[in-house]
Amino acid sequence: MKPSQTLAQVSLFAALMAVFGLIPKIDLPLGVPITLQTLGVMLAGCLLGPRRALHAIVLFLCGVALGLPLLSGGRGGPAVFLAPSAGYLLGWPLGAWVTGAVMARLPAASPRTAALSAVIASALGGLLCIHACGVLGLMGIAGLTARQALLGTLVFVPGDLLKCVLCALVVHTVARGLPDWRLGGRSTP
Amino acid sequence: MGSLYSEHRSWLHACPAGLKLGVLALLGAVLYAMHGVPILGLAALACCLLFASLGPATRPVRRLLRALLLACVLLLGLHAALGQWQAGVLSVLRLLALTLLSLAMTVSTPPSALLAVLESALQPLQALGVRSERLALQLALMLRFTEHFFVLWRRLDDAHRLRTGRAGGLRLLAPLTLRMLDAARRVADTLELRLGD
Repeated sequence: MKPSQTLAQVSLFAALMAVFGLIPKIDLPLGVPITLQTLGVMLAGCLLGPRRALHAIVLFLCGVALGLPLLSGGRGGPAVFLAPSAGYLLGWPLGAWVTGAVMARLPAASPRTAALSAVIASALGGLLCIHACGVLGLMGIAGLTARQALLGTLVFVPGDLLKCVLCALVVHTVARGLPDWRLGGRSTP
Repeated sequence: MGSLYSEHRSWLHACPAGLKLGVLALLGAVLYAMHGVPILGLAALACCLLFASLGPATRPVRRLLRALLLACVLLLGLHAALGQWQAGVLSVLRLLALTLLSLAMTVSTPPSALLAVLESALQPLQALGVRSERLALQLALMLRFTEHFFVLWRRLDDAHRLRTGRAGGLRLLAPLTLRMLDAARRVADTLELRLGD
């Protein structure tokens, strides 16, 4: 892929992360919170592939590190990387890479197959990886026990499962609307 | 989304950006290695004094101090609810110290200097596909695309409301994605003409 295409796509998905951060937190029934930025991680992985998704999320985090208020709640600046939730932030690039790596290896011959692959890739990278990093962060930085950290992170899982489905719907739409798009960054559509 | 850098010079403005970032990262690690309330209290007090010593240079970030205090109260409350008062006090002291240090760094370091440091710091990630050159251009594109997302979202939402009488909500995510991917392709073509690669 040409450097100009990479630059444009990476910047686009970093912007998508910023947009999701600027949208207020949504509360599902029973008070389950849902923020959309992990959806951005999943979409980057599924649509860009591992390397460019990693680049997009790192670019976004650079903007945050420079003080731009791009995290949900208008947060930004270097201090967020030392806060108790830093594990989740640092899990985003890894989650994007894993999502992309899995998506590149799963079948995407038809829009329906691509959507199913996106659910699996999103669950592994966008949910499992990010939550694992988040739990480690809560244990290491906030001093919570493993049980407390796991219970604290579980509240976000229903929302993240919903995001895996949303990601799959978007991938399905892209597979139908842009059939030449290389899902997962694969070498051929 | 303006910069928090202060043009009002303080003693910290003279320190190189890389040094300040490195010290911030090191102090962050040291603060998390400390576990006593007295020593963390002293560290937090030292950070408060450092922040205060910057004088008028802290003006751009003073409004953030209220949010910091609120975060401290919530953090203490969360730990109190779990029956962990001491852990709550330690967490609050660390949050105070680190936030004040990073705010001091933010107001005393121009964004261009931070960009240069980040470009250097990202070079090891080139093997994983992260291109650190032209970071300023990438960030500028990111901000431009962010603005375009909202413009396009508003147009799609207005069209949806005209057709259905209801807000589009998450139903617009798919058409918005297609439009933005198409926009990225057009931007890529322009970049290729301008940059020659």
